[in-house]
Parts: sequence; structure tokens; C-alpha cells
Amino acid sequence: MAKVSPLALGPALAVALVVSITVAVTIGPADIRFDEVWRSIGSHLGIGVSPLTELRDGIVWQLRLPRVLTAAAVGAGLALSGAVMQAITRNPLADPYLLGLSSGAALGAVSVLLLGAAVLLPIAAFLGALLALTLTLLLAGSLGAITPSRTVLAGIAVSALASAITSFVIFWSASGDSYREVLSWLLGSLSGARWPAVAITLAAIVVIGIPVMLTGRLLDSFAFGDVQAASLGVNVSATRWGLLAATALITGAMVSVSGSIGFVGLILPHAVRLLVGPGHRALLPLSALLGAVFLVWADTLARTLFDPREIPVGIVTAMIGAPIFAFLLTRRKSST
Amino acid sequence: MSRGERDIDDLDGPDGLVGERISITADGILLIDNVDCTVARGSLSALVGPNGAGKSTLLRALTAVQLPASGTVHFDGDDLLGMPRRQRARLAAFVEQDATTDSALTVEMVVKLGRLPHQSLWEADSAESAAVVTDCLETTGLSDFREREFRSLSGGEKQRVMLARALAQQPRLLTLDEPTNHLDIAAQLSVLGLLDHLRTTGVTVLAALHDLSLAASYCDHIIVLSRGRVVAAGATEEVLTEALIAEVYGVQASILRNPVTGKPVIAYSPS
Repeated sequence: MAKVSPLALGPALAVALVVSITVAVTIGPADIRFDEVWRSIGSHLGIGVSPLTELRDGIVWQLRLPRVLTAAAVGAGLALSGAVMQAITRNPLADPYLLGLSSGAALGAVSVLLLGAAVLLPIAAFLGALLALTLTLLLAGSLGAITPSRTVLAGIAVSALASAITSFVIFWSASGDSYREVLSWLLGSLSGARWPAVAITLAAIVVIGIPVMLTGRLLDSFAFGDVQAASLGVNVSATRWGLLAATALITGAMVSVSGSIGFVGLILPHAVRLLVGPGHRALLPLSALLGAVFLVWADTLARTLFDPREIPVGIVTAMIGAPIFAFLLTRRKSST
Repeated sequence: MSRGERDIDDLDGPDGLVGERISITADGILLIDNVDCTVARGSLSALVGPNGAGKSTLLRALTAVQLPASGTVHFDGDDLLGMPRRQRARLAAFVEQDATTDSALTVEMVVKLGRLPHQSLWEADSAESAAVVTDCLETTGLSDFREREFRSLSGGEKQRVMLARALAQQPRLLTLDEPTNHLDIAAQLSVLGLLDHLRTTGVTVLAALHDLSLAASYCDHIIVLSRGRVVAAGATEEVLTEALIAEVYGVQASILRNPVTGKPVIAYSPS
């Protein structure tokens, strides 16, 4: 039952996101004030003059801001994809990496990292994700009619294979620094995020994410399964495969810049459901907003908690996500 | 407000639901074998037959939820299988057996799902839709359940919610797959009473039923399905004979009379 009005939570989360992004940019070894962040951003957009020295301005504009914006976009994309996957597979445990996407991306990324071609990493990761997805769907198709459960099982098989090859590649060729770099990527990290990463992830949100957010009513019709959705005039297979392809593209774009950051897509849709109820018209945009706020703070923790050392953000999301997941499980038990 | 796309007075084709030469296969097995069936407009009809006879499969085909391998389905002359999905969902509603969900939807949200074919994806719920939902909740006696979570309801209440959801589609044809399954006697009578009431509002109703006595007391017409074929169809009292029950179910039955309603009651004898 709805406890919070989506119409109140939406604007509140939007404000929280803007404040979080600004505050997150101020946090770090070089001390930069809230208002200085805005004036620096303004100067780069052609409004006014930056109050900061060139070095400190560079920290805001070249390092922290793109990283924080990437965190926001990745968090939004993962949480949105998770909410959609949970609806179309009718599986509350579904997450954006369900169909082998993250393992495929990892294989692509690790291969180019170890070849010493780190520039190609996003492209290789994206291609790896799409290759894994294609294999998953081909395998699911070869089992007969493609159903959600067959697709999930095929995803597990493809994931396992890609992980095995990734482990083999690492074991065979990684050493010292490259091993550290590979591990950091595998655990999910935004430390390398600059403006190109912002462009990739924001483009995925705007071009694919926003249209996906408009399909809430269709997803609601899946609550009782395919037959009821069909009886309500929904083209079940076109909707399912269209949304699956869309979430795969979003996840592929996110994983290509951040590695696979776990728990965001799994947990946050459940948290939003607890707050506003199960209707997808509110759930999809609110999950995206909450995901953005969550990952901005998780990444801020990742880069400051053990300053000057930085830990992969995937460790932070898992540390926070796993207990929340356990809490949600107990809630679920009492509600069914 | 008009319920469909055509004015009923203009019709020159056959009335009601007409399925012709319907065949359905699944995994290479013929489930429905060249079936013809008719349900008169504005009637309450029962589809009966043993487990596995193909009742669910036929119902799904008749509302185009699952397309048959071959055959045609018309309602008041309109081609149900050929028309756009959303238009079909405004004309024909289907209530499946034992609908369940993991989702914490409220009763009102479930009933609102029935408005899907009448609304575009992102427009706000119209005042008209809200009025229809309220109306359907009232018709099914669920006004006090609006905010209750669907999963917390009893079987009979759930079935009434699904009925209200189907009514929110404002259909002219309603098909139901064993709507009295797992319900206690009072809930069974309440569901069938509602279907009987719907008939008086001009909705054509076809329900798959297991209980032949219930079918006999509520339904004007009956279609008997056995092994994917229609073995008898027509007015209930003419179709439901002891010989037919013996042939279709392999059970010895006696047709008695309900002392109150005068309708047939079927008593089974152990063999």
C-alpha cells in the first residue's frame, strides 16, 4: 500500500539529486565550497568567471564533476533496468546483469586491458555485453520457444562460460599493476570516468531510458502474467523483447564505463516499491532518481572512506546492498 | 456511452460469438480439433467437459489471447482474431483461472488494469476511467475493498476483483475460465449471480464450469467439449442428459429437479 505520494517523492528526489551532485563535488582532498562548485560550473557554461585557481577549477571540471555525473547516470540506468527486468521476468530477484551482460562485458574489458589497449575498454566491454546477450538469446531459442525462465537459465550458462574465460585470461597473463587494474574494473569502479563517460551514460538515459520510463502502464499489465496482459490488448512478446533489448543496451552502456556495479539494480526498485507501492508509472522514474542519488553517495564513499586510497564502488554498493537485501527478504516474508 | 465500434441495429451478420473450424495445436499435439461453436448474444452459457478436454485452450482462442492454428472467431459479425489488439480488448474480456501475482497491488489498481485498452500509455487517469472503476467495484460488491492488497483477499474476493477488472474493460463479451474453482458454495453462487446480473445488462457471457448442477441452474446454453471436440451444444435441459454424462465423463448420473427452482440437479452414483 502506498505510504508516500509519488508526486511528493519525485520532486524531493530530484532536489536531493541536484544537492547530492553538488555536495559530492565539494568532497575530497582539495577543499572546495558549495557555491564555488556552481560558479565554476557556470563559468564553463559561459556564465560568469570561475572563483577557483586553474588547478582547483580543473579538479571540479575535469575530475570530480564528470565522475559524479557518471555515477548519477549509471545509478539511474541500473536501477531503471532492474525495475524493468523484474517486471518483465516476473522475478523479484532479476537484476540488469541477469542475461550474462556483466560477464560478457568483463571478458571484453579484461581482454583489452591485458592487451594494453585501455582506450578501447568501453567499446570492448559494450561489444562483450552484446555478444553475451546474443549468445544467451540464441541458447534460449535453441531450447524451444523463448520464455523468461529459459532465458534466465541460458543467461546463467553464458555468464558462467564468460567468467571462466575471463578468469583464464587473467590467470594466464595478468601481473602486478595490470592485475590491480583488472580487479578494480571487475569490482565496479568509476575512478576513470571523465566527460566521454558522461556522454555515453547520459545519452543512454536520454535516448533509451526516458522512452522506457513511459511504459509503466504496460509493465503493470504483466502483474498477473502473460495471459492477462494479452487479454488487456498488450502485444506481450513485442513488449517483452523490446524492453529486454532496451535494458540490455542501457546496461551495456553503463557497464562499459563502470564495470559491473552490483545491487543497485536489484535493491533500489524494491526500496521504491516499499515507499510508493507497485505501480510502474511511478516506480520507473523514481527508481532511476533514487538509483542516481544512491550511486553518487556510494561513489563518494568509495573515493573518500580510506583516503588517499580508493576502493572500487562495487564493494561499497555490495556492503550497503547486501544488508538491505536481507532486510527486504524479512519484509517479504511478513507480507506474504 | 457506446460500448463498441458498431451500432447494434446495423448488424446483418450472425449475432453473438461465433467460432468456426477452430483448431489449436501445442507442441505438435492437436488440442482443439475443428470446433464450431456459437454463443447467442446476451446469453449466459457454460462450457463443460472433463479435465483436459481443451476448455481453457478454446476459451483463450475465442478471446484471441492465444491465436488458434486455424479457424475464425466473430462477435456480432466483427472478426475478433483480425482486429487490433486494443480494439479487441475493449470488446472482449477474459478472466483466467486462479490469477495470482507477487505484486502488492491494491484492489483498485487491479481493477484499473482493465482501463488499459481505453487509455494511452502516459495520459493521466481520466475522470471517466475513475468513474468506471468505481462503478465496477460497486457492481461486484467491492467498494469497501478499494485500498486492500489483492494478495490478502480470500479466493472468492479475488475472483470478484478479477471480474471487476474485466468489467472495467467495458466488454460486450466476457469469457471466464472456471471462475468458481476453489471457492466455497456461497462464493460460487455470488460469482454466478454476478454473471447472471451481467447478462441482464447485455453482456454475452461464456464460462467454463465443472459443476454441472451450477451450470444447469444458471446457464441458458451449454457447450460440451470432450477430447478437443464439441460433442453436444444447445439449450441446457436438452443437452444435459444422463446418457451424455455417461458418454463424456464415464459416470452414472441421475437428473433430478431442484425443489425450489425447478432446475435440473445432477446426482452421481458410485460405480
